[in-house]
Amino acid sequence: MEGDERGFRVALIADELVNPAEGGIDGLALLEEHDWGAIQLPAADYGPDVAGPLLEQAAEQADEFARHGYVLAVVGSRAGLDEALQAFGISGLPSIDPASAAELNAFLVETGSRERSRR
Amino acid sequence: MSGVAFVAHCLLNQNSKVDGGARCPGVYSPLVEVLRDRGWRIEQMPCPELAFTGLNRFWAVREQLDTTAYRRHCRRLAKATAGAIQVHVQRGDDVILVGLEGSPSMGVHVTSSDPERGGRPEWPEGTSELSPGSGIFLEELTAELAERGVPMPRATGITHQLPDHDEEAERAAVADLLEG
Repeated sequence: MEGDERGFRVALIADELVNPAEGGIDGLALLEEHDWGAIQLPAADYGPDVAGPLLEQAAEQADEFARHGYVLAVVGSRAGLDEALQAFGISGLPSIDPASAAELNAFLVETGSRERSRR
Repeated sequence: MSGVAFVAHCLLNQNSKVDGGARCPGVYSPLVEVLRDRGWRIEQMPCPELAFTGLNRFWAVREQLDTTAYRRHCRRLAKATAGAIQVHVQRGDDVILVGLEGSPSMGVHVTSSDPERGGRPEWPEGTSELSPGSGIFLEELTAELAERGVPMPRATGITHQLPDHDEEAERAAVADLLEG
């Protein structure tokens, strides 16, 4: 991958950490700081008819990264995500529902230090 | 007035790029900074090539991807994106799209085209496949929104994979788009 700068780390991240409310945790900024990419999960206020297909697509894309051994993690939570991932045989990803930016920071450092592995 | 920006998947996740195409480890910060500075929400669109041809795909031009199966795949993804856009339009939010210029799937004003390309992946050094037009996913999204009676949001494309890329000009173009 000459000249390619990818970080090989991908977080499935809750919408409220991509678009934080005033005083909320800016998860996207921390992902950037620690060289992670993001798969954004549907907003919590989307109904099932809108969120369902978006969750399926998020899991479909996570599956491709998993097949190639990229480091994957779940940051924040989203109803229906576990089921969507299980449909692709994915479970047990490292995850965090961070109470603070410091907690998320430590998680990304620790989890991001893991080696890529082939599934 | 702030609103909602639907952005190409790779702009938040450079890991989805074709081999050799990632310009940074993960999040493309110049775009995020412009959107955040003006209080816009960010919504990520899917990467149609990632889920269809995978991480080991070759660089491709429109003609190589423009099959019935790929268009069906793009339409399936576009239906989900259109559903989310429709939610925001119905709420009265200002909505824009930010694609990726030069992409066979996500180009807005510039795509890639070469009707001769195929077979063993070798072509002359310096060959330019860039051409005016939009990508296949953008076309399918436009069609899906039209079927729903949702107006196509105004759109621009990030230019970081074009040879004449100018980051300041790119930031200005996005800022202009946000202003409407």
